Amino acid sequence: MVSVRLEKVTKKFGKVVAVNNVDLEIEEGEFMALLGPSGSGKSTLLYLIAGIYKPTSGKIFFDDHDVTNLPPRERNVGLVFQNYALYPHMKVYDNIAFPLKIKKVPKEEIRRKVFEVAKLLRIEHLLDRYPGQLSGGQQQRVAIARALVKEPQVLLLDEPLSNLDALLRVSVRSELKRLQKNLGITAIYVTHDQAEAMALADRIAIINEGVIQQVDLPEVVYNRPKNMFVGGFIGNPPMNFVEAGVEYNETVKLIVGEDSVWLPQEYIEILRKLKLQKVVLGFRPEDVLVLKDESQVEPGSSVIRGEIFTVEPMGREVLLTIMIGETMVKVYAPPTQYYSMGDKVFLQINPAKLRLFDPDTTIALEYLVKT
Amino acid sequence: MKRNVFSTNKVQLLIFLLPAFLIVLLFYIIPIIITVYVSFTPMRNWNIDKYFNVIVGLQNYNRLFSLITRDPVARQVVVNTIVFVAITLVINVLGGLGLALANFFIDERVSTGFRTLWLLPRMTPIAVYGLLWYYFFHGSNIGMLNSIAMSLGLIKKPIAWGQEVIPWGPWSIIIIVNGFVGVSFGMVIFYSALKSIPRELIIAARVDGASNWKLTTNILIPLLRWHLLFVTTWQLLSLLTTYAHTFLLVEWGVVSRTYGQTWALYVFNTAFGRGEQDQGLAAAAAVILVIFGAILGWITVRALGFNKMITKPKGDI
Repeated sequence: MVSVRLEKVTKKFGKVVAVNNVDLEIEEGEFMALLGPSGSGKSTLLYLIAGIYKPTSGKIFFDDHDVTNLPPRERNVGLVFQNYALYPHMKVYDNIAFPLKIKKVPKEEIRRKVFEVAKLLRIEHLLDRYPGQLSGGQQQRVAIARALVKEPQVLLLDEPLSNLDALLRVSVRSELKRLQKNLGITAIYVTHDQAEAMALADRIAIINEGVIQQVDLPEVVYNRPKNMFVGGFIGNPPMNFVEAGVEYNETVKLIVGEDSVWLPQEYIEILRKLKLQKVVLGFRPEDVLVLKDESQVEPGSSVIRGEIFTVEPMGREVLLTIMIGETMVKVYAPPTQYYSMGDKVFLQINPAKLRLFDPDTTIALEYLVKT
Repeated sequence: MKRNVFSTNKVQLLIFLLPAFLIVLLFYIIPIIITVYVSFTPMRNWNIDKYFNVIVGLQNYNRLFSLITRDPVARQVVVNTIVFVAITLVINVLGGLGLALANFFIDERVSTGFRTLWLLPRMTPIAVYGLLWYYFFHGSNIGMLNSIAMSLGLIKKPIAWGQEVIPWGPWSIIIIVNGFVGVSFGMVIFYSALKSIPRELIIAARVDGASNWKLTTNILIPLLRWHLLFVTTWQLLSLLTTYAHTFLLVEWGVVSRTYGQTWALYVFNTAFGRGEQDQGLAAAAAVILVIFGAILGWITVRALGFNKMITKPKGDI
């Protein structure tokens, strides 16, 4: 097990910059998710770590060992792909044994290790089959076994669950997390699925257009997104954004349409420092109370007026799309209330959970103050 | 009212199949029937009126058999064919594979030009291509090979390679000339097959520690199995029946008639060649060639395990 460190890594393909000046450190035994939309450069980053690509500039370290110029076979990494990439002409046993055969490990030892890892992944009964005779979930276990059998320093996973059906994905996901923790292996996991990243990772690195946006614990990434991209990418549905004016008097408050929104003390201080005239108000769909009647509004709390656009019952809750002026927001409401299209409602945002962003840089205000 | 779907479909089916069926009938089935029929007649010198209705049974086949067993020229045709087909086949398949792998590992921009170069013999008209080799192997000092060998001091006077160096001179020439045309076929098939191997498989093998050589022997070649089978069978059958290049080389005197003539050329020369033309005998020889080709083709398919490749998976999916 090693730690992985990327220093100012840039990868260009012709004129396209796939990975742009990335600094990233993954600790020993850590499960790091690289999360981003397709084409964000997350897979390129993984392949850079695997040694498939060489960085245009920058350095990659395993512990303190510079591996930037080492070919893949000298890095001892395990790689698992979305489409499993099992060798179709080899039986499961030979697929798993392949990395050891290449290393000229003695036959008896190969046998022992293959059975050991097969037992770990519960695929002992499949060793005599060809990959084409396995289900998707079984194939992915074989692929993971092949990556683990050589006892890699780092386990790299490139969207390994994306080809599995939804139910299987959730069960393999929790299995994968247990496995990684039990083995204590450093793992880097590429995904575009924010739920997967949240569920699996110790930390999440969000990447967009080749640039790392934020690296943090899942709950920090979720609750305190560094910028509007992160807020808008994480969560299902993602964070809502509403433009708001700022009014500076004895206190500082936001103006949305005709409504005022009171702010927590933290933001009042930040805004007094930054003196912004306009901000973007961000809030998560679950951090809102939807009130149908003005009389329900607690005195002293602030609400934003809106109109229900669509109602989508989800069972445990109802997903409402609400128009605030020209902006559409999505919020969750308890299914105990009856909502219908066109209803006028009052949104009471949990002041502790609201986030403010600078409309020009899209960066969250608290991060603007820090830097 | 219910329309009869099947009858309309059948009519449509026939309409769509008709053009292709006519072509197959006209250029494939009818010629086969005629050839087989002619092999049972004493047809010679295209005297259709006189011989077409005369049936002589297996007489042509008997003649062919006694020619092969007694006539040294006819026997040499059999030897030539075996040597030519066997060696050229190996060159075509392994050469094509080697070129495809070379293309696969070198830079894409370079390999495009490289592949075009190897396709030139196939794109060049047969007569022009043959003429190039005619000058290359020419028996006088205008021959390129001779002038190179002489200027290097390897030989004192020009050698007629295809006439004097028996039998490997003429054999080498027909093998080289056909081999250069043949390798490009394998190269194109194998290269496109290599390109269609999922990139992840190759990356996986690299991460698993495979060098270029291990990647080739453990992953690439096993995955080309189906294409190897196809190219081998296809080349075997086309080498058995090809004669165009060899015909020119023999006619122009580059190679000796005795040692350069393969079975397919023998069939052509017997039916259309100089002197007395013996279509009955040629037809019998052609029929035997087709039967041999079919048997050899079947053996290759069996030996390379075609049936294994089409068995259905038996796992739970």
